[in-house]
Amino acid sequence: MIIVIGAGPAGLAAAEAASRNGSEVALLDSASRLGGQYWRHRDSVKGYRSHRAGLLFDKVLQAPSVTHICEATVWSIERVSDLFRVNYLQGGIESSLTAEKLIIATGAYDRSLPFPGWDQPGSMTPGAAQALVKGQGVLPGKKVIVAGTGPFLLPVATGLAEAGAEIVGLFDANSPLRWSLSPRALLLNLSKVSELVYYAKLLRRYRIAPQFKRVVSSFDHGKVTISRINSDFTIKEAASQTFDVDVVAVGWGFLPDVTLGGIVGCLQRVDSDGTTVFSVDADQRSSQKNVLIAGEATGIGGADLSLLEGEIAGLSASGQPIPTSLRRARYRKQLFAHALKISYPIPTGWQSWPQGSTTICRCEEVKHSEISESVSELGAEDSRTAKLFTRAGMGLCQGRICSRNVSEIVAGLTHCVVSNEERISSSNRPIASPISLGQLGDGKK
Amino acid sequence: MSKQVNFTFNGKPISCEEGQSIAAAMIAVGNRELRTTRFGDEPRSIFCGIGVCYDCVVVVNGVANQRSCLIEAKDAMNVESTS
Repeated sequence: MIIVIGAGPAGLAAAEAASRNGSEVALLDSASRLGGQYWRHRDSVKGYRSHRAGLLFDKVLQAPSVTHICEATVWSIERVSDLFRVNYLQGGIESSLTAEKLIIATGAYDRSLPFPGWDQPGSMTPGAAQALVKGQGVLPGKKVIVAGTGPFLLPVATGLAEAGAEIVGLFDANSPLRWSLSPRALLLNLSKVSELVYYAKLLRRYRIAPQFKRVVSSFDHGKVTISRINSDFTIKEAASQTFDVDVVAVGWGFLPDVTLGGIVGCLQRVDSDGTTVFSVDADQRSSQKNVLIAGEATGIGGADLSLLEGEIAGLSASGQPIPTSLRRARYRKQLFAHALKISYPIPTGWQSWPQGSTTICRCEEVKHSEISESVSELGAEDSRTAKLFTRAGMGLCQGRICSRNVSEIVAGLTHCVVSNEERISSSNRPIASPISLGQLGDGKK
Repeated sequence: MSKQVNFTFNGKPISCEEGQSIAAAMIAVGNRELRTTRFGDEPRSIFCGIGVCYDCVVVVNGVANQRSCLIEAKDAMNVESTS
């Protein structure tokens, strides 16, 4: 049996591919429906080339050898001789499943950067805004600003507008001219250009005019301040525009969740943009025997790349041949993923946005001044020490939101760079999600 | 029209569509604030929306730290803010 963890584009493609030769597949996902974060849907998936989602859903649901286990949150994985035991919580009850092979396709979540007011109600990630509209059929607010950086802002802004929200502004911190640095990636991915044209038409239809090199620099009970920034992300003009809105949806690309692969001991590396990802070979195999990894956890690249990686991982895990055409297609999408990193960089100037009173760790309510004092007064020289002094990163989310930011803030204050060891260690957690001792004790093994 | 679900939030009756999360149901009725923080007593709402950040945690039928962005509202559910 093969256990696929995650039912987004990569996990679905992996399950479908593996089932082609009748291999038994268990597809585990924490949500109640297939699709993951990007293809989450109520009745139908809307967006560019979204019909692919429906086709894949049907194939996976109809495959007799695939079992879909929903609302299952995996909290740990153990090795039992040559097998893997995956422990998960389903409806508050602990269960487990054992298999010879694992395909980890756990995806990614929005990266957030702190600014004054980012912890107030009404400030959320673009992913949250999209989840409310696409997954729940609820508008996060009537008047919305979408900001941050990256191409994901386009489907979020147009999706909100389509659902009836007024998009007060769409601000990308980077300039679209940066795409001129990656001509080869664009030439080899002309479908991406037609995707851009698709969104450009939608932006025109909803009268959304994107503005560039601007950020949301504060949010205070509905009052948003937009600042113009320099190319290093330091503030150029503090208050270039102000708006009254219900919601600011601000996101800075994505962070993969590497926890589960980390528990199994899969080798990780630091990507060129500082993100911790897994090392995999040409067949999507990790450093650990019989553990394959596909999708965003091997490097952020979007749904197209995730689908290809998932398909290759599924074929590889089930012992089927992998067509050269698939590998070529993956190479093209990898070039595009690299171009994304070049086009939407996040330089260190964001560290000047928070004030002393700005929350950095949302869970433990640690302010920026407490982190800077741990460095200046208590002599913390690395983020681990600063975290021990302040409890930053030690709350319920286990540092998923703030850990990387704390590392980079401490490095900025001590005039150091964050080491790769620190980037990898701060991305990993000993257990994948909080579990009570009671649930642990009541579980059946 | 899908089926309606009725639950209570801090004792107040709330109606939503079947299948909606607690957080979505509360935002749909204009109640953005889901809890206040332990130390600063600051209001918090949905943030990541996908179960990663734990900012939207509430007490569901007496069980603490439940992510309201993930948990579907059910009939007669008793939801309370954490503080």
